Amino acid sequence: MKTQLKRMTVCLLAVITLIMTFQCLICFAANDREEFTIGFDAEFPPYGYKSESGEYVGFDIDLAQEVCNRKGWTLKKQPIEWNSKDMELSSGSIDCIWNGFTMNGRESKYTWSTPYVDNSQVVIVKSDSDIKELSNLSGKIVAVQADSSALAALTGDDATDENKKLSKSFAELQQVGDYNSAFMNLESGAVQAICMDIGVANYEIKSRGNKFKMLNDKLSTEKYAIGFQLGNTELRNEVQGALLEMLSDGTFEDIAKKWGLEESVCLSADDKYIDSTDTSTTNNDFWQQLGQITVQLLEGLLATLTIFVLTLLFSLPLGLLVAAGRMCKIAPIRWLIKIYISIVRGTPLMLQLLVVFFGPYYLFGIELSSSYRFYAVIIGFSVNYAAYFAEIYRSGIQAVPKGQYEACTVLGYSRAQTFFKIVFPQMVKNIIPSVTNEVITLVKDTSLAFALSYTEMFTIAKQIAASKTTIMPLFIAGVFYYIFNFIVAFIMERIEKKMNYYK
Amino acid sequence: MNLLEVKNISKSFDDLQVLKDISLSVNEKEVVSILGPSGSGKSTFLRCMTFLEKIDGGSMSFCGEEAVNSENGYPVYVHKKKLRQIQGYFGLVFQNFNLFPHYSVMKNICDAPIHVQKRNKDEVAEEAKELLKKMGLSDKADYYPYQLSGGQQQRIAIARALAMKPKMLFFDEPTSALDPELTAEILSVLKGLAAEKMTMIIVTHEIDFARSVSDRVVFMDKGLIVEEGSPKDVIDNPKNERTKTFLKKMQAEL
Repeated sequence: MKTQLKRMTVCLLAVITLIMTFQCLICFAANDREEFTIGFDAEFPPYGYKSESGEYVGFDIDLAQEVCNRKGWTLKKQPIEWNSKDMELSSGSIDCIWNGFTMNGRESKYTWSTPYVDNSQVVIVKSDSDIKELSNLSGKIVAVQADSSALAALTGDDATDENKKLSKSFAELQQVGDYNSAFMNLESGAVQAICMDIGVANYEIKSRGNKFKMLNDKLSTEKYAIGFQLGNTELRNEVQGALLEMLSDGTFEDIAKKWGLEESVCLSADDKYIDSTDTSTTNNDFWQQLGQITVQLLEGLLATLTIFVLTLLFSLPLGLLVAAGRMCKIAPIRWLIKIYISIVRGTPLMLQLLVVFFGPYYLFGIELSSSYRFYAVIIGFSVNYAAYFAEIYRSGIQAVPKGQYEACTVLGYSRAQTFFKIVFPQMVKNIIPSVTNEVITLVKDTSLAFALSYTEMFTIAKQIAASKTTIMPLFIAGVFYYIFNFIVAFIMERIEKKMNYYK
Repeated sequence: MNLLEVKNISKSFDDLQVLKDISLSVNEKEVVSILGPSGSGKSTFLRCMTFLEKIDGGSMSFCGEEAVNSENGYPVYVHKKKLRQIQGYFGLVFQNFNLFPHYSVMKNICDAPIHVQKRNKDEVAEEAKELLKKMGLSDKADYYPYQLSGGQQQRIAIARALAMKPKMLFFDEPTSALDPELTAEILSVLKGLAAEKMTMIIVTHEIDFARSVSDRVVFMDKGLIVEEGSPKDVIDNPKNERTKTFLKKMQAEL
């Protein structure tokens, strides 16, 4: 087993190295730059976001556009999943991360431009909240964006002792995928505060009306810069040159004013690059790192297993009920069930999860508690899978020959006896292959729980991948999913064989 | 006493009238065969008599108890509970057996007597063994239906019906799903039952089968009974033109 694992990891590494070498070759080949691709979180106004007309706009986008105009490049705006930013960058699919990107704490992970915005980490609460200062946050549930500078300021290696203590006093530090989700959590009461960048905070408070306010206390001050792949000084110097040009002719100032950021900008021709040759932080011992990641993922696997088991526990019987309704003699019930199945099958599961979690607040004004997050995941999955199981049951029931029912009638079986003694066992045999399919899909679908910021295995894998700048956790998670499904398939095969005592 | 009294039954599927005003009475210990070409309505007739189809008009009584009447011009069935009690008076053997595939032979036979009639488990098992012996299948008690030949399956189906201790037995083309050489197996079982004075109503299109086992033959065509009498009269000496045509055709096929 151990040697197998070793061999597998070696193989994986070989593949990764091969891909990376290949990409480097491509990078060096493309010396004459025509395109400049910036990666940004499209939900991070005012630095980069989707405008009402559907275009990507923002302070950073305008800056990048101006740089491209001066360099004769075509700007490509690539919205990215924030957790995957390092993979995007190292794979070469983006040239830089230019998105209110905090350099503090990440100094040695990227090749940086000089800082151009001075930003701070602040705390947002509801306007009517009784949280007035940082100390009031004790015992509260606080949201931060996964792998954000707010998170780093609270729990990162370089966090101040005060902040570390503060974050420990929270009831829970809830990581969310994006700021929209964070504000929905805050508004609905699922969290009581959000820690975030001041620029974004100002923008969000302005655009969301006066429902939220900012605490006077700040968590930290920090600076934004443009992050390039470690070692790519050539491109960095070109971009930096264009920026300084813009600074000297006043264009930079104009753009800052346009976005209301003239107070925050700090670009200066006197600043020096912080390039360091120290890479010790990223090059941990491989095996030690592998072990750490595996342990963390195993914790996530427990959450994944919980979702999996509970969903099956509820959706399998619920599906039977739904199937009964679907075949009910009373037409309105039948229609209702048909509509339910149609909606569940016709919309993304992720959306359904969001509706289940946020629906109670946004539709009925019910304040959400944090424990509801877990219930929402289970309810969402169960309701979704019940619809699929119901249709499988229905096909299985309809495959039982009419003669079986007639034999039951003539022998005097009641309706319940007919169903449970005769139809149900035959249905089970009929549907096992389809159920196996569905159960295997469920194993993989559990990763969608990240939509509700529920930390199951895949969410954790992405978080580790982002913070350690490696895609290894994702591969390990993949291996776990595969093993999980291998076991599921094996068990289902055994059941199928067991049912083969008759034909 | 007439175990079965069927009067003026009619039945339509959509616009097609399948049964037109049919009456039939069957005496205790009598064996009646219903003959007729396919499409004559004989199977529908049997399904109506066993409550698998609802009639459109007419009346039916079993063992002197009325199950349905049409005194108001439309059929009125008795209350569900009563209907199930009456259902217990008869058994039905299907064309394609309809054994429960997931039950062993023994369980197929014993399950309904134990769970529907709530009879003693051991007693039922004892009787089931007797029935299997009678069917010549004592060694198949633990088999599953798919492991048996068609003729064996049909004999199990007959044993299953008999285990309910019915007062009469209906057979819906009991041999038409079987190879000709297996027909003899079933025929000898039926003959045995007739010797024990079991009341039986058999829908079939096997003329020799009908002749050798029945006390009375009913010939149906186009939803009507066109001729009725002893096998000798109806089969060997038919008076009705349609009976003659049918018999000639059947004999030509043999």
